[in-house]
Amino acid sequence: MDLRAPEPGGPAVTRGHILIDDVVKVYDPEGAAVMAVDHCSLDIDAGEICMIVGPSGCGKTTLLNAIAGFHDITSGTILLDGAVLCSKERPKAEPGPDRIVVFQNGALFPWKTNLDNVVFGPVMQGKLTPKEAVDKGRAMMADAGLAGVELNYPGEVSSGMRRRVEIVRALMNDPKVLLLDEPYRALDSLTKSVMHEALLEIYYKNKVTIFFITHDLEEAIFLGHKVAIMTTRPCKPKKVLTVDIPHPRDYGVLTSKRFRELIEETNDAVHEEALKAFQAGEKEG
Amino acid sequence: MELTLNQTAQDADLDVLRATTPFRDAPDALLRTITSIARRARHAAGERVYTAGDDADDIFIVVSGIVEHVFTPEVGARDPLKRMTGGGVFGWAGLLLGQTKRLATVTASEPTEVLRIGAEELVKVLESDAAAGNAVMERFASMITREFTVPELLAQVRRLSGRPQPEEMTTLGLTMYRLSLWLKSPRPYLMVVGFALFLGFWYLSVEVWRLPRFKEMPGITAVIKEWLSPNPTYGLSFYTAEYYQHIGMSVWRVAQAFFLATALGVPFGLFLGWSRKFKEYVFPVFELLRPIPILAWVPLAIVMFIATESAVVYLAFLAAFFATALNTMLGVESIDESYVRAASCLGAKKSQVFRHVILPGALPFIFTGLQISIGVSWFSLVAAEMVSGQYGLGYVINTSYMMVRYPTIVIGMITLGVVGYVTSAMVRIAGDYLMEWRVRELALAER
Repeated sequence: MDLRAPEPGGPAVTRGHILIDDVVKVYDPEGAAVMAVDHCSLDIDAGEICMIVGPSGCGKTTLLNAIAGFHDITSGTILLDGAVLCSKERPKAEPGPDRIVVFQNGALFPWKTNLDNVVFGPVMQGKLTPKEAVDKGRAMMADAGLAGVELNYPGEVSSGMRRRVEIVRALMNDPKVLLLDEPYRALDSLTKSVMHEALLEIYYKNKVTIFFITHDLEEAIFLGHKVAIMTTRPCKPKKVLTVDIPHPRDYGVLTSKRFRELIEETNDAVHEEALKAFQAGEKEG
Repeated sequence: MELTLNQTAQDADLDVLRATTPFRDAPDALLRTITSIARRARHAAGERVYTAGDDADDIFIVVSGIVEHVFTPEVGARDPLKRMTGGGVFGWAGLLLGQTKRLATVTASEPTEVLRIGAEELVKVLESDAAAGNAVMERFASMITREFTVPELLAQVRRLSGRPQPEEMTTLGLTMYRLSLWLKSPRPYLMVVGFALFLGFWYLSVEVWRLPRFKEMPGITAVIKEWLSPNPTYGLSFYTAEYYQHIGMSVWRVAQAFFLATALGVPFGLFLGWSRKFKEYVFPVFELLRPIPILAWVPLAIVMFIATESAVVYLAFLAAFFATALNTMLGVESIDESYVRAASCLGAKKSQVFRHVILPGALPFIFTGLQISIGVSWFSLVAAEMVSGQYGLGYVINTSYMMVRYPTIVIGMITLGVVGYVTSAMVRIAGDYLMEWRVRELALAER
C-alpha cells in the first residue's frame, strides 16, 4: 500500500490539544456511589493518535462521553486548546462538530444514502450549501476509496466500508478531535487489518487529534503515538507509553523487533488489569 | 492531413471497441466520445502491465498480441488464469463497487498493443447517456462474472449517478420484474391450491355431504349465482348500483377514520416518545382508555354525536388512533441513542434531529402501526355499522341476517375481505415507497 510519506511527525498541527486534568466521575444510581473515573489526568498533543487501552467496562467510554458532551463529570477539568469543555462548574460539555464521535456499533443513518450521511454535518450547520457539500463529499469519499457507493444505503455496503464512510462523515466537518469508541470491535481480523491501514492513510491526509478507545494492545501500539493503559474501574492511566516507531507505519511494523519489545513491556500491565476486571466481575456477579 | 490521420486512428479505435463484449451494442455517438478519451500503448513481451494491489485507474482493451491475466487468490475466481487476445477487456476493477486497487497481475506474453481508457473518465462519459451507459455497465458486470469467473458478490459494478438507474427507471418496470419473479416461484401456485381446497371444502360440506351445522349455510353455487345475477333474488349483486353504494360508503367512512387517526395519532405518538414530561402526563390516561373494547364506546358515541354518521366514523377512528399512536411512540423509543448523539455531534439542532433522525427512524414502526390501524378501523367500522347506520357493508350483513337473505351475508363478507386486503396493501406500498432504504436492506438480507 502506498502511504505517500509525509515528513516525519507530519505537518505541525496546532489544534486539537486535549488536557484532561484530575477528572472524577461518580455515578450515583440510588445512592450507591460508583466511581467510574478516578482523578484521571492525561495530556494529548495536537494531532496525536492517543490510544486508550483497558478491559471492557473499565470506564474508558465514560471519559470519551465527557469529552464529546454526552455525559457530565463530577469534578476536574477537560480543556480543548485551552478552552474549558467541562469542569466542576459546568459539568457537561456542549456536543459540537469540533469533536466527533465514531461509535462502537456505527451510527450512519440507515435511512440516508452514504453521500447524504457524509454531507449531513456541513448542511445541518449551514456551513456549506447542499451543492458544495455534495461536491466536497464526493471528493472526500473518492479519496477514501469509496467511489461508487455514494448512492447506496449503508445497509448495502460491507461493514468495513461503513466504518470508512463514518470517518469521512466526521472529517467533512474539519474537526479538531476524532473520538473513536472501539470502532473496529465488530470487524473480523482481516477486515480490521485493512481498516487500520485505511485509517492511517486517512489520518496522514487529514491530521487531526485521535482519541481511540480499544482493548486490543496490538492495535493500540500499531496505530498510536501514545498508548495510555487504564486501570479497571475506577479508570485512570496506569501507564502511559510513547510509541517511538516512526510514522508513516504499515503492516510491516507488526513483525518488527521494536513492536514486539513494546508489546512485552506493556502486556503485563494490561493483563493485570484484565484479571482485576474479571475478578471484580466475579464478585459482583 | 493531420485531421484525417486522427480520423482514421479514431475509426480504428472504434472498430476495436465494437469488437469487445461490453461495448458491442453501444450507440456510435457514445463510442466516438469514448475513443476521444482512449489512448494506445505498447508493451514488450514479458513486460508487466500492472500488478495486483496497484491503484486501479485505466481499463485496457487488447488490440493485438496476447496478455496473461492472473487474479490474486482473494478474488475467489473459479479460473484465476486467463489469456487474452484481440478484443479482450481487462483492468475493469476501477468500475467495481468500492474497488480502487487492481485485483490481478497482467503480463504481456508477446509484443502487445492495448487501448487504455481512464475509468473515471469512462464513467463520466457513460453518465452522459444514462440508458446506453447503464447497458454498458451491465455488460461489464455479466462479462466479469461469466468470462472472468469472478463471484457475483465481488462483481458488482458502480451505479452511474445523475440519472435514474435502470432498476429505478420506472416503478412499473420494477413491479413487472417482481411480478415475473413471483410467477416463477412456487408461491402463486401454492396459493391457488390453497384457495381451491378452501372453496372445495365449502362446496362439498354444504352442498354434497350436507354435514350437520353446514347444511343451513348458503352454498357456494347459490352465492355465486346471486352475486353474478343481473336480477338478484335478494337485491344485491355485481349489477346493482346499491352494491357499490354500500362499498363506497364503508370505504369513505374508513378513509375518514384512517386519515384522521393518522393525522392525529402520528404527531401524538411522536410527541409521546420525544418528550418524557408529556408522556408522564398523558400516557397513564392513554393506557387506561386503550384496552376498552370499541363496542363499549357505542352508547357514548351515539350520545356524543347525535348524527349516526359521525358516531360510526368516530368509533372507527378511535381504534385506529390508539394503534397508530402507540406504535409511533414505540418507534421513537426504539431509535438507537447513538443516532441522536451522532446527529448532535454533527451540529444538528433539536428541530433538525427531529426531522432527520426521529421521524425517519420511527417510520418502520409507524407503518406497522398504520397496518394495524387500517385493520382495526375496518373491524370497528363493521361493528358500528351493525349497531347503527344505514349504509355500508356491516349494515348489509346485519340486515341480510334479519331478513333471512343468507347468500347476501356471504357476499358482504367476501367483499369486506377483498376491500380490506386492498386498503392494507395500499398502506404497505406507501410504506415501501417512503422507506426505500429498508426495502433494499431486506432484499439484501434475503439474498
